[in-house]
Amino acid sequence: MTDHQRRLRPSFSRQRALLTAHSWAVYLFLYAPIAILVVYSFNEGRQTAIWTGFTFDWYAHLLENELILRAVKNSLVVATTTTVVTTLAGTMVALALARFRFLGRAATQAALYLPVIVPEVVIGAALLTFFGVARLRLGLGTVVVAHVAFCISYVAIVVRARLAGLDRSLEEAAADLGAGAWDAFRRVTLPLILPGVVAGALLVFTVSIDDYVVTSFVAGVGSTTLPLQIYSMLKVGVTPEVNAVSTLLLLATVVLIAVAQRLQGRQGGLSGVEET
Amino acid sequence: MPDAPAQRRRLGAYLLALPTWVILGGAFLVPLAIMLGLSFAQRSTYGGIQPVDDLAAYVASGNFLANYARSLEPTYLQIYWRSLWLAVVTTALCLVVSYPIAYFVAVLAPRRWKGTLLALVVIPFWTSFLIRTYAWMLILRTEGLANTVLLKLGLVQAPLSLLYNDFAVMIGLVYAELPFMILPLFASLEKLDRSLLEAGNDLGAGDVSTFFRITVPLTMPGIVAGILLVFIPSLGQFVVSDLLGGAKTVLVGNLIQNQFAVARNKPFGAAIAFELTVVVLLLLWAYAAYARRQGNGASREVLL
Amino acid sequence: MNRVAVHRILYLCTLLAAFAAMLLSCGKEGGSAPAGEAAKAKSGGELNIYIWSAYLPQEVIDEFTRRTGVEVHYDVYDSNEALLEKLQSGVADYDLVVPSDYLTRILIGEKLIQPLDKSKLSHLGNLDPRFLDKPYDRGNAYTLPYLWGTTGIGYDKTKVGTVDSWAALFDPRHKGRILMLDDVREVFGVALRSMGRSINERDPAVLGRAAEMLKKQKALVATYNSGDFANILAAGDVDLAQGYNGQLAEAVQEHPERLAYVVPKEGGTIWIDNVAIPAKARHAANALAFIDYVMEPEVNARIVNGVHYASANLPARKLIKPEILGDRAIFPDDATIARCELIEDLGDTTTLLDRYWTEIKSQ
Repeated sequence: MTDHQRRLRPSFSRQRALLTAHSWAVYLFLYAPIAILVVYSFNEGRQTAIWTGFTFDWYAHLLENELILRAVKNSLVVATTTTVVTTLAGTMVALALARFRFLGRAATQAALYLPVIVPEVVIGAALLTFFGVARLRLGLGTVVVAHVAFCISYVAIVVRARLAGLDRSLEEAAADLGAGAWDAFRRVTLPLILPGVVAGALLVFTVSIDDYVVTSFVAGVGSTTLPLQIYSMLKVGVTPEVNAVSTLLLLATVVLIAVAQRLQGRQGGLSGVEET
Repeated sequence: MPDAPAQRRRLGAYLLALPTWVILGGAFLVPLAIMLGLSFAQRSTYGGIQPVDDLAAYVASGNFLANYARSLEPTYLQIYWRSLWLAVVTTALCLVVSYPIAYFVAVLAPRRWKGTLLALVVIPFWTSFLIRTYAWMLILRTEGLANTVLLKLGLVQAPLSLLYNDFAVMIGLVYAELPFMILPLFASLEKLDRSLLEAGNDLGAGDVSTFFRITVPLTMPGIVAGILLVFIPSLGQFVVSDLLGGAKTVLVGNLIQNQFAVARNKPFGAAIAFELTVVVLLLLWAYAAYARRQGNGASREVLL
Repeated sequence: MNRVAVHRILYLCTLLAAFAAMLLSCGKEGGSAPAGEAAKAKSGGELNIYIWSAYLPQEVIDEFTRRTGVEVHYDVYDSNEALLEKLQSGVADYDLVVPSDYLTRILIGEKLIQPLDKSKLSHLGNLDPRFLDKPYDRGNAYTLPYLWGTTGIGYDKTKVGTVDSWAALFDPRHKGRILMLDDVREVFGVALRSMGRSINERDPAVLGRAAEMLKKQKALVATYNSGDFANILAAGDVDLAQGYNGQLAEAVQEHPERLAYVVPKEGGTIWIDNVAIPAKARHAANALAFIDYVMEPEVNARIVNGVHYASANLPARKLIKPEILGDRAIFPDDATIARCELIEDLGDTTTLLDRYWTEIKSQ
């Protein structure tokens, strides 16, 4: 913000203060249940509503709980694979829809909405029936196929939104300057859509790692994911062990983000557009 | 334009779309088609599908529409209306809550922190949805965190009934859908050209005016994407109303879930689900037509 | 700057992949037989169990693997319908499942489970005859009883006094302090038994009257919940909770001065979960061995002590902890059992019941 701007708009700082306050409030809202979750993972009593004492016991139990560890592993494998595949395919199809006219364009766009519209329970039941008809044994593979099938839309929709209204002139300028299609993409389009792609990838990872309904239909022997495992534990009675595993996962992701932030801090920012 | 590059470009389009075609076609549309077929069948005595001996007679008699007919009875219409209403309110609330924070992270935050702040929005959703919802139950209980704080601060004299009602369901739904609104908004806001905003100001537009006449239209694609990603899944939600609502409300999601999981009436459940799908697709098509007429190319581009 | 963003993402992905790989490597050892038995396990084969959550202590499984070298995997489900769905698909690869009473009849009818080879079962004599030869599986050709229990009312003595009738759940004085199971058959069962009818009533007129009762009751109900009812009662959010005896008995044991469990005088539901082998099981022999194994008194007692539900095994009783054996919520007397009914599938009447349930819930 230049001096010129600051002088012209005294209300800007009040705006900024309000927006900052609102953002803090939203973060508080987002993390309130998380705080509860973490605090109660140290609760001595089995019933989560009453606080009886501080203990690390549940964490100790957790590390011996092979079922949970296997479920965490399964979830990460599925979510990572799904994110990679859907981000690639979804970005590609978003580009095709935005930049080209081709046969089946409208149908593809409409088809991409279906996974978001059709209720998960129907998707799950449909996939189970399909796998049965196709004689595909249920397992981690069927879970990944199911996740990819219904997550691809999320990436496509978010990247489409990013592409829409993107200034074509930059790409045209690159073409005028003699850049081939691939070069123009790599050096102009991709950086411009990257925040959208990342947002889409984050969305898919989130959806996949916590999906219960569809996964419950298509999981088989040894392919229990974390949401399935937690659900089965909650059904019997909420033990703080479940809170403990969530806290640990949270810690792991926070550490990952902190590392990424360190890297980012040294080299610049996420935005692909120079601030003028 | 010469033919060869144009053809190469079209080939490029097909190549780009191919993986999605394979995935969607094989793993999604085919299963869905099977389900659609089932929606015209009837439930057998123990929850299977009644085999149809004479297909022609079955179709001619109109029986194949039995499930669809049943789904239009008053009991069920009431459920659809309630779900629609709840989804609209949830989406509106999400939008109002998300826009400022998306704006803050995309426009006002220092570039170094953008990625982190965005990730911080999403991280809570990498923990189990179920546990988070249970945590909300702990917060909203009569003796829970919310009431304790309110009582301590003297804002209320007696504990409020915050759980097992529509209020709790609303909180749960907004909470569950928030990142699906924030992320698309962020993607759109992030590429906002700030110089346009300054230009607006230089020309004498106030802040509110600038916001509604420049910012919002420019970020319409993100808004539309966010609305799609929040409104539609809200219609199919059932866990929140089961836990936070005390399972005392039946939304479309509960209804469908019930048919599949308990009543074992897949055909009826499938019929309702496909009706829901058709209605939403019609809404999308109507909005696309409206946007086209408004000349709002950007949002039309998102939809078509 | 764009390159940086790409690098950052790649870095994140690598970290994630490394994390996953790390867990993958420790996952291989855990979740099945201990490493030292790996060679033996290969020769013993596999066994895939699909069972209710918290229905089989891990140590019981581990002991089986130690003895036989069979590598055991187990997954859990939370409803009979989920089990049915998986078996109907034909592609779920399970060797041992544990259906409830009413599901068993359906599974037999749809030929989804196979007859048991009784010659391989040496401990059949341990089973309690009270739970054998039930209508859903005459002669126990396909299944054997595993664990059983009742549905009743858990309540706070200090708030509502002594409860002995379902009428307490319809009492306006307890408005907003009542919990019902989120289960159409169990809830209708309450209304039907209050009316002196069977829980397997099919007469539409009677069901209609029961539905009216339940519609009026809804205003008194705080929540319908089939999973967490014991916790909710223990936390004091409700004073009366319809629920299954195992979890409620646990809550009562933790708060004996406050809580109690009762099967009302009008009678309620009794349920029996049975072991069965799916028709397409690839390791049926191992499944049979496991069934025989859990019928051993010592093993059976360990299961009961671990999960707090009653088993149908007579010799095991000597080895069950006294506080569990003596707990009348878990091991009710004959009189209580006599006034309870088994749930049977209602066939086509299910649709009518579902309609009423939707009406009740959407008021």
